[in-house]
Amino acid sequence: MSFTLSHGAVGLIGIIALLALIFARLPIAIALGVSGIAGYAALDGWGPAIRMTGTVTFQLASAYSLSVIPLFILMGAVASRANMAKELFEACNALFSGIRGALANATIGSCALFGSICGSSIATAATFSSVSIPEMRRHGYDPAFSAGAVASAGTLAVLIPPSVLIAVYSIGSEQSLPKLYAAAFLPGFILAAFYVLAVWIIVWLRPQWVPNVPGMALGERLKAARGIWKLGLLFFLAVFGIYLGWFSPTEAAGVAAFTAIIIGFATRALDWRKLRDAFLETAFTTAAIFFIILGAFFFSRFIVLTRMPNDVAVWVNAAQLSPTIILLIIAILYIVLGTFLDEVSMILITLPVMLPIIAQIGYDPIWFGIFVTVMCTIGLISPPTGMTVFVIQAQHPDIPVQRIYLGTLIFLAADLALVALLVAFPGIVHWLPNLFGVK
Amino acid sequence: MAGWRNRAAMASGYIAAIAVAGMMLITVADVVLRAVFNFPIRGTLEIVELMLACSFFLALPGIFLRDENIVVDLIDQKASSNTVTVLKRLSALVGALMLAVLLWQGWISAQDTLVFNDVTADLSIPRIYYWMPVLAGLAGSILAAIAMIFDPHVKRGSHSGGAV
Repeated sequence: MSFTLSHGAVGLIGIIALLALIFARLPIAIALGVSGIAGYAALDGWGPAIRMTGTVTFQLASAYSLSVIPLFILMGAVASRANMAKELFEACNALFSGIRGALANATIGSCALFGSICGSSIATAATFSSVSIPEMRRHGYDPAFSAGAVASAGTLAVLIPPSVLIAVYSIGSEQSLPKLYAAAFLPGFILAAFYVLAVWIIVWLRPQWVPNVPGMALGERLKAARGIWKLGLLFFLAVFGIYLGWFSPTEAAGVAAFTAIIIGFATRALDWRKLRDAFLETAFTTAAIFFIILGAFFFSRFIVLTRMPNDVAVWVNAAQLSPTIILLIIAILYIVLGTFLDEVSMILITLPVMLPIIAQIGYDPIWFGIFVTVMCTIGLISPPTGMTVFVIQAQHPDIPVQRIYLGTLIFLAADLALVALLVAFPGIVHWLPNLFGVK
Repeated sequence: MAGWRNRAAMASGYIAAIAVAGMMLITVADVVLRAVFNFPIRGTLEIVELMLACSFFLALPGIFLRDENIVVDLIDQKASSNTVTVLKRLSALVGALMLAVLLWQGWISAQDTLVFNDVTADLSIPRIYYWMPVLAGLAGSILAAIAMIFDPHVKRGSHSGGAV
């Protein structure tokens, strides 16, 4: 007796097998590759499945659009090593000086700008963990709140352009990177504003957590504010260089990385050893991310073959659920995935199935790119594996991890408020790309 | 990390880092020459693609040697140290097998490009040059994964290399 499974059933088994392999500690890239190749073979035979691996590998080896990723990572790696974070924090502190909660708000402002250049939420949190937490604690801020502010503000790195994660989404979804960056601007700054609002709420509810710090004199403030120029210039080149038509995204990344090196050497903040380390970090981080992209390419070929995305979209349509309910289910799914998966894997694994559903309920891939990126920011501070929380705890072992999670709660509420805003007013995402006609 | 593993991983990283530097420099040179002298470098895109292939595939052995593949290590909190070590060795074995399939198929495709003398459109760079770092990187990664199966220094530990 023989029986055959439907394509959808094979797809479901493939997804379950993928999750089982990931939980069994198989590297995510290999788990994606193995389940993708085996699933493809189950549907189309081993011959086509194995031949597909050669085609896909070469596709990755000659994809110019991917070159933006290592160059943006390099820019961030150089900026991290060239002491730009401390000067930026002092500049932002000068800006907010005299207002209660100034140090926490300076942390948010500087994480937003530094994170946008750095592109890595973990590196941003690690950097500001040593720059701003000691400063906040010295002025009597509650340690858990200080750590929570840095952990949460660090996540702005994945949302505010130029973000490496959005570049990965752009490749996975085949959407325009300039358009995605333009779309991410407003939500990114709204989230930063919500974080500032969250600080003020804490000032109001728990004033003892945020003692008043004497304001700086005007001269002192002006002097400190000058520290913003380095990252400001990099941000201008990397982002506005694209929209002014000067550069393509890859060129913008290359020019900004080169400028970061020049600034680093010119200001003597960078030496050859630090530069070597920045290049090595770039090479290894790029390889780890690209290996996942390669695995995800195999897996998505398999998922497409199952016709599962279309079947799920048809099922969603037949279920006649409201778009809000579907988005709520998707949001919950991402929160769950975010508790154990890193952001790059989370996006690449779910894209083949999610994009048709999103199209079915009337949202477009650009909107979804921003939505899913915001969901990633939530995953970065959610227990049990909020990566930015662990990074901070490693540097401040006297603050228990549970207390840091408590410190992030108010910022988590801000994240959820942004999600609600995006669902209720999807036009927030399209406003800037439409205003400037970004394609 | 064992000394030889560290040295081999760093060698892999340095070669890839040189490719990243090359990618950045050619991109900047193209932008500057285009803006200042209206004289862009012909075939920049093809050179960047070649450097990109080098930067990814030649750093891959280093990722295996440094044990920096991105993993979900929740099981580490529940499982014994020995179980984690066994899982790590099994992961390396599965990785080596998967990469062997990629190398095998890559080798066949590379031979095709050689036989048909495939070249790029702008600079006529033989496509086989693009396959070289791919094949070298995959072969190096297989060796690295095999080394990790037998390396007595492989122990438990969490990794988040590459997370953004």
